[in-house]
Amino acid sequence: MLRVKNLHAYYGRIKALDNVSLHVRAGEIVCLIGANGAGKTTILNTISGLIPRARGEIYLKESKINGSPPEKVVAAGISQVPEGRQIFGPLTVLENLELGAYLRFKKKEKKSIERDLEWVFELFPRLQERIKQIAGTLSGGEQQMLAIGRALMARPKLLLLDEPSMGLAPLVVRDIMNTVSALRDSGVTILMVEQNARASLKISDRGYVLETGRIVLQGNSDDLLNDNDVKRAYLGKDYKTFWEGRDPA
Amino acid sequence: MERADLEQLQLERLQSTLNRAYKNVPFYREQFDALGLHPRVIASVEDIARLPFTTRVDLGDNYPYGLFAVPLRDIVRISSSAGTTVKPVVVGYSKSDLKARYALTARFLTAGGVVDTDVVQICLNPGLSNWGRALKEGAEAIGASVMPMSHMSTSKQFMAMQDYRTSVLLTTPSYAMHILGAMKSMEMDARSLALKAMLVVGEALTEDTRDILESDFNIDVTAGYGPSDVMGPGIAFECREKKGLHVSEDHFVVEIVGPEDGEPRPQGETGEVVLTTLTARAFPLIRFRTGDLARAMEGSCPCGRSLARMSGITGRTGEVLTIRGVKAHPAQIERILEGAPEDTSPRFLIHLYKENYLDMVEIWLEIADNIFSDEVKVVENALRKLRQQIFQILGFDVTIKLMEASTLDQYALPTGGVIDDR
Repeated sequence: MLRVKNLHAYYGRIKALDNVSLHVRAGEIVCLIGANGAGKTTILNTISGLIPRARGEIYLKESKINGSPPEKVVAAGISQVPEGRQIFGPLTVLENLELGAYLRFKKKEKKSIERDLEWVFELFPRLQERIKQIAGTLSGGEQQMLAIGRALMARPKLLLLDEPSMGLAPLVVRDIMNTVSALRDSGVTILMVEQNARASLKISDRGYVLETGRIVLQGNSDDLLNDNDVKRAYLGKDYKTFWEGRDPA
Repeated sequence: MERADLEQLQLERLQSTLNRAYKNVPFYREQFDALGLHPRVIASVEDIARLPFTTRVDLGDNYPYGLFAVPLRDIVRISSSAGTTVKPVVVGYSKSDLKARYALTARFLTAGGVVDTDVVQICLNPGLSNWGRALKEGAEAIGASVMPMSHMSTSKQFMAMQDYRTSVLLTTPSYAMHILGAMKSMEMDARSLALKAMLVVGEALTEDTRDILESDFNIDVTAGYGPSDVMGPGIAFECREKKGLHVSEDHFVVEIVGPEDGEPRPQGETGEVVLTTLTARAFPLIRFRTGDLARAMEGSCPCGRSLARMSGITGRTGEVLTIRGVKAHPAQIERILEGAPEDTSPRFLIHLYKENYLDMVEIWLEIADNIFSDEVKVVENALRKLRQQIFQILGFDVTIKLMEASTLDQYALPTGGVIDDR
């Protein structure tokens, strides 16, 4: 579905991504884990066409999309749920969701849009309960559901999820993760960025580990959950120095 | 797997391997920095040709743990081989490395037809004992019944094959021929065994040898490849089409380069096999020169696998010898012989020949002309001790023959020179 090769990205003079390659197969959940500042969000933003100073190749189903402006990337079938939700506060829940289908209104897809609205309300019954509520007054977890719902209204082939667990209570995180899992089961392909490595590795099929803009490890999520380096760095186990047999670098 | 998907997988794994090696292994970092290179310049698998080579000498120089890329406590197995360098070559494996190794040997075995109902017998000399372990684990992973036989007499191997109804034999080509020869001399019918297949490693399998073994035993014979001192036997494997060895390209990049100039050789031309690991965590190898000669094969195999193929090993380059599958360098033998008694000079030659299909090593050691017969006995006792040392370090037996200087002079070779009559 998605193939990324040799991505380099800069914020001004700072190099945020250093030769990143990854891929996502149809129907998978792939997660990107790494510390704060490692470059995970930058990868999603680059895929969405939001980073002007980037080079490398990005293919969605074999069509090249690197260099495309964001609206073309969305039209091609990629929808991003940004970090921090970024729902439209002054608008209602329904209006937020309808805006998610913005590109589809022009194509006169009214019936299928209504069906998708129903689908989103099935996934998130709470949103249906609050359908006329002003979005800015929703709780954190509800706003996250709304942000995901809004992205789904574009009927994406690929969903980019940026830190869905951020700022949410553990029980809410569990609900969100279950929903993401259910999404995959209903056929949505997902690339997810998360600082909560354990939660994301538990529901994903494969993962990539990012360190200061470089991929240092990849593999099946089960293998990564059991990997000693991942455990030490991201799962909170075993804080010791790197090496006993020689001087630490 | 589609070729395009395989190449994407290779690129991703290569990039992360290089990032990890650069970050964690000072040797690689210094090598790259010295050339002004960094892993970020690798934009395709072909770009690997820009990187410097790693040799056995580098491995020996970084004894013992200098090339490990993970903390020692993550290493679950350490294997060392002393045959080729001053200090032994020490290789480490993490849990995930071992898991990958077993999967690769299982792949080799499955391609050769091994299934869970098989009785597998492993006959390898002690120098290949780490391979014996890897093959045993691979066979167990398939669910077969395994007999890991250590160095045992040929008659004991027979007894096992007959009594336990061994269906698959894992051994070297020369040992397989040796068993066949022994059976014939005892007038036993090789076809009376329960064998259905032999998988051979450690030495090149010639088509002549394969034909003889297949017809006389009425079995399938397939080969596997890997350099015995740094890796398991799962780098490349034959399928039952027997038209070349499939390289496990999801775990290794195999290049064929000119032995002299290091430049890539086109498909079909013979060159040195250079290996790069794509998944190794504890011991990543970047462009390791194996010293084995082979060629890359074009086209796809009738078996349907998309993995590229290489030919069997057609020879060796450099001074490292392969003796019964084990790698050994004459300099190692020289070092051991430095303990030789004083009435012998340090000059020696290595004579390799075959007896009953097995590689035999005879060391011709120069002896002083004016030595008396009882002194010779003392010297020969000392030599017996040297032979034990060589066996311990290299894993195979040698005989040491005392020769006069004039006999050695005939060969016009420097000390440590090799006369290969195999």
